[in-house]
Amino acid sequence: MPDNEKLSAAQRSRVRRLSMGREIPPDEEGGELNIVPFLDIITNVLMFVLATISVTFTTMIDTEPPRSNGSNVRPPGNPTLSLNIIVIDKGFIISAFGQRIGEGCQGAGSGVAVGMKTMDGQTDYDFTALNACAKRLKNQVPEAAKETSATITANAGIPYQSIIGTCDAIRKAADDGQVLFPEITFGVPK
Amino acid sequence: MTQPGPTQPTKPASLATYKRELRKAIHKNKVEPEIMFLNITAMMDMMTIILVFLLKSLSTSTASLPQSQDMQLPKSILTTEPDSEPEGLAVIISKSQLIVGETVVCPVPPDASQYGVEAKYKRGSRNDYFIVPLGSALQSWRDTDKRIRMATGKDPSQSEAILIADVSTPYRLLTEVMFTLGQSEFSKFHMMVLQGGKLGSKQPASP
Repeated sequence: MPDNEKLSAAQRSRVRRLSMGREIPPDEEGGELNIVPFLDIITNVLMFVLATISVTFTTMIDTEPPRSNGSNVRPPGNPTLSLNIIVIDKGFIISAFGQRIGEGCQGAGSGVAVGMKTMDGQTDYDFTALNACAKRLKNQVPEAAKETSATITANAGIPYQSIIGTCDAIRKAADDGQVLFPEITFGVPK
Repeated sequence: MTQPGPTQPTKPASLATYKRELRKAIHKNKVEPEIMFLNITAMMDMMTIILVFLLKSLSTSTASLPQSQDMQLPKSILTTEPDSEPEGLAVIISKSQLIVGETVVCPVPPDASQYGVEAKYKRGSRNDYFIVPLGSALQSWRDTDKRIRMATGKDPSQSEAILIADVSTPYRLLTEVMFTLGQSEFSKFHMMVLQGGKLGSKQPASP
């Protein structure tokens, strides 16, 4: 059979026609479902949902039933800090080592250990000073280093946010993160 | 007289030649299949996983809290997630009412900062700390929880409660609720707070 055998015009035409790739009609495109419009809608809806919801992250502060003041007396001879904080309208009254802490959290004394602070003309509890006071008391004697519990009592009208603020202030030191008194017990005022 | 054109074979080539030429032409015109659609399967997988995680974190973090003017949680500096999902009875103290689970127990009077709830809801005088309707609601839940704890091998001697209180709840009312919980054999409370507070930030002034 000669290699240089020529195709006829009809054969060339047929070869040309058969060798061309067949175009897939638009309605037969690989049998795939066109979900692009659906995705557009979903993406837009998702953006709106994420933009409108307000995510609030919550956590828990664990505690126990309140005790009447004086019921948690520890056995004598065991030197303990026994930190007791009373929240009043004028600040914090603090007791530790069986005695009341004086003003400015300096030694024994009477009055309000940590007073209020005034900022921008508004008076509020000085939680930063309370935090420093709790740290000073904790580091005062080595025996108190392992003590992590404290009792918080408050006047009848003190709002819940101030109670939580007090818990936060004595939880850990603001400057170096030292664990102070994370275990809180609430007291019932007499 | 017209000139004859180039020589055109009139006789068709053999079948073998025709097939060979056809194969050559097909090979020559062959094009790589074009991607006619975007393969988004991997992206869909990823989005589905992200969506599941998002819904999961939303359900655990907000705990379907009815945040409104009547009920606003206090803020805390705590940023850690609880070790496990807190279990226990939800006790809600809003500005206007006391709710156990889904049941309204008693109203909260405007002057709750002095004596807590009204005297008619107390066991004795208005100075008493025990709230009778709250104690009744807690007792019925406690009986059920005790049986569940015994069946599941947990300590049946105590139950837990989740305390959800408004920022302005006075300490007096708070202690009344906690005292009643303690009297009803609830020995551990989880006080729900919002994360993101700042030490020393502005707190609501005491009344």
